[in-house]
Amino acid sequence: MATHPQTHENPSISEATNEVQQGSETAKLESVFKNSEPIREDQIQNAIKFLSHPRVRGSPVIHRRSFLERKGLTKEEIDEAFRRVPDPSPSEQTAVTSQDGQQAVQGQIQAVQHAPAPVVMIPPPSLRSRFRWYHAVLAVGVLAASGAGTAVFVKRSLIPRLKSWVRKIMLEEESDPLEKADAKPSLAEEAVAAAKAASAAASDVARVSQEMMKTKSEERKNFEDLMQLLGVQVQEMKSLSNNIRYLERNSNNLPKVYSANQEVYSGLVKTPAERRPYANGSNIDYDSRSARSTSPPAPPADSSQPPHPKSYMDIMSMIQRGEKPSNIREINDMPPNPNQQLPNPRIAPKAKPWDYGQPPQDESSNGPWWQQKNPRSADFGYETTTARSIGIQNETSTTEPAAIQKQRSWVPPQPPPVVMPEAAEAIRRPKPQAKIDQEVVAAASDDQSGVSDELQKVTKFSESGGDGSGRLEITEIQEETEHQHIGQEGN
Amino acid sequence: MPVFKAPFNGYSVKFSPFYESRLAVATAQNFGILGNGKIHVLELSPGPPGVTESVSFDTADAVYDVSWSESHDSVLVAALGDGSVKIYDTSLPPPSNPIRSFQEHAREVHSVDYNPTRRDSFLTASWDDTVKLWAMDLPASIRTFKEHAYCVYQAVWNPKHGDVFASASGDCTLRIWDVREPGSTMIIPGHDFEILSCDWNKYDDCVLATSSVDKTIKVWDVRSYRAPLAVLNGHGYAVRKVKFSPHRRSLIASCSYDMSVCLWDYMVEDALVGRYDHHTEFAVGIDMSVLVEGLMASTGWDELVYVWQQGMDPRAS
Repeated sequence: MATHPQTHENPSISEATNEVQQGSETAKLESVFKNSEPIREDQIQNAIKFLSHPRVRGSPVIHRRSFLERKGLTKEEIDEAFRRVPDPSPSEQTAVTSQDGQQAVQGQIQAVQHAPAPVVMIPPPSLRSRFRWYHAVLAVGVLAASGAGTAVFVKRSLIPRLKSWVRKIMLEEESDPLEKADAKPSLAEEAVAAAKAASAAASDVARVSQEMMKTKSEERKNFEDLMQLLGVQVQEMKSLSNNIRYLERNSNNLPKVYSANQEVYSGLVKTPAERRPYANGSNIDYDSRSARSTSPPAPPADSSQPPHPKSYMDIMSMIQRGEKPSNIREINDMPPNPNQQLPNPRIAPKAKPWDYGQPPQDESSNGPWWQQKNPRSADFGYETTTARSIGIQNETSTTEPAAIQKQRSWVPPQPPPVVMPEAAEAIRRPKPQAKIDQEVVAAASDDQSGVSDELQKVTKFSESGGDGSGRLEITEIQEETEHQHIGQEGN
Repeated sequence: MPVFKAPFNGYSVKFSPFYESRLAVATAQNFGILGNGKIHVLELSPGPPGVTESVSFDTADAVYDVSWSESHDSVLVAALGDGSVKIYDTSLPPPSNPIRSFQEHAREVHSVDYNPTRRDSFLTASWDDTVKLWAMDLPASIRTFKEHAYCVYQAVWNPKHGDVFASASGDCTLRIWDVREPGSTMIIPGHDFEILSCDWNKYDDCVLATSSVDKTIKVWDVRSYRAPLAVLNGHGYAVRKVKFSPHRRSLIASCSYDMSVCLWDYMVEDALVGRYDHHTEFAVGIDMSVLVEGLMASTGWDELVYVWQQGMDPRAS
């Protein structure tokens, strides 16, 4: 795994990373922002299992990659897993464009990805999808109820009819024996007539039930048509607003052709500009995209949504109804002179405070209000109730000579009483510090003459940063003990 | 402390790296859903009212972010909702502006960041899943970085290494890139929900913070990225922006949909060191001045821009 060829890197960087693997410190800096971990075979095996799953194979490649990335696999591991699992041909992916296929894909992705985080971007699209489902459920319920109702009605009407018919026959039979002798041939006739009537009634019933079925299916069809029309209308709304936007723009903006993956993912025909959401595996259909409905990103659905301003909800509902807010003006914000020269800079760029390697200790309080450092700048203006007591503590601390305030520009909140300062220091010492110290030691011991400027800068910085932070820690703890004394005395 | 009332909802605020008393504000009409936008350039003044507008630029679509040039003191770059990236020269009157408009992104451009070390290029992050690298005087982008599977909410340059940047995306990953490399060099699955913002530690070039829809801020060291250095809890809703202090090593400022702006020190036990509740709607923009230590600004959907010194109450007069 360590010999995994890094063919995509230019020679100098690959040399550098090889050197790092050999323990050298040259250009170690460059590889800090790169993965230097070896490839983990167990992760690759998991990835292969995932990729070999038949449901996963139908999903777009970018979603598979994104899933593996979120599981913590490195690029190399993902590439290796893809290499080992034969990729389905692109034509397979594009072939899955039918509605059913897309819905199946959506269902698969949801099933395969563990914990499909139900990130709801904004309420309206989810409302809309929920609205859809609700609608469908309602429709099915209504149809079932009507079917049951007609069945019951038919039964109820059929049985009385039968009964009355039977009673009629019984009455006729009763009156028959009187005329039996004469009525024999007529009885036969009557029997025939009765049979005819029975068959007629049966056919009537059959016809009626058939009509019922027809009306039911018609109703269902009508409802589906309605849903389709609604969807078409929404599409038109969206495309209209998009067209408006595009018309206002420069014509050399070629609409981006979205990959087949994204078209497969959603399920509706769309213009290139529409967003196909991925949203952590939960497939929220963004139908109401006449406006930027993905703004702002909302918290997870399992916790409460942040209360949006009322006017925000008003505007969202306006957009969904297809209305445009009336306060929008037509503005031409294209450059009047695209070849306008950049101005001559009047001031030279200033050095950044962090270029000097350590945080500045400047405490100037002269000049305009924005430069005046609050003598109580340690107190950040707590507004929480717990903080108020700390604020009071800090206020009492201002009775302390300004010397301490000048030495430290801010005071941390009151920690519990420190019994053993040495232990407190050991706990407080942040872990990265140890790492930086190690690097400093390693760098110092390295005697290569060809060390880069950046490396020098880094070691200098680490040293100063390390010392500075250490100083900070020690004085912090000393200060805290003093503060406690003050606090206790003050109380 | 001065307050500026904008006509539209605030989205972003940035201090100028050249002038201590100057800042730019990006705003959008109708909460950025649909409508125009406006860029304000504000000047802080010693006497009342404290902050005044020196110039403003109208745009056809929402402005989601703005960034000052590090090479030209009067130039700023804007990220717009119609996918365009526009360059404005504040030394020219509004009718002569913008001086450039680049239409390449297919979706809203959510953030723009100017390179503070090389000073010759800037990055834009867009909801079309890509990050683009630009130079001001070139007519087209230099590179497009396309790896994220969802909206990229922010791309930020490393303050020490001019070729390295980080991107935060709705696909829940944080990616580290080097412009000399063909693709991302690290992928950190930072949160279980969308990552809305990221920023580098100015004093430790391997440390960066991410903020997410899951209400937390996580601090990472790229050298051991499997687990975060710290997880900062305290916000009640999604954390929209996070910013490392330019003056203090471990100080982080953040703003959230819980309408508050918080200050954190990730190296101490009780990390929350300050909290400001001055906004009455989502707090979405925050910045800390590089030139004046302790000076902060924030903006939110309540159309207000506050500028204050740490330790002062932003609403105090």
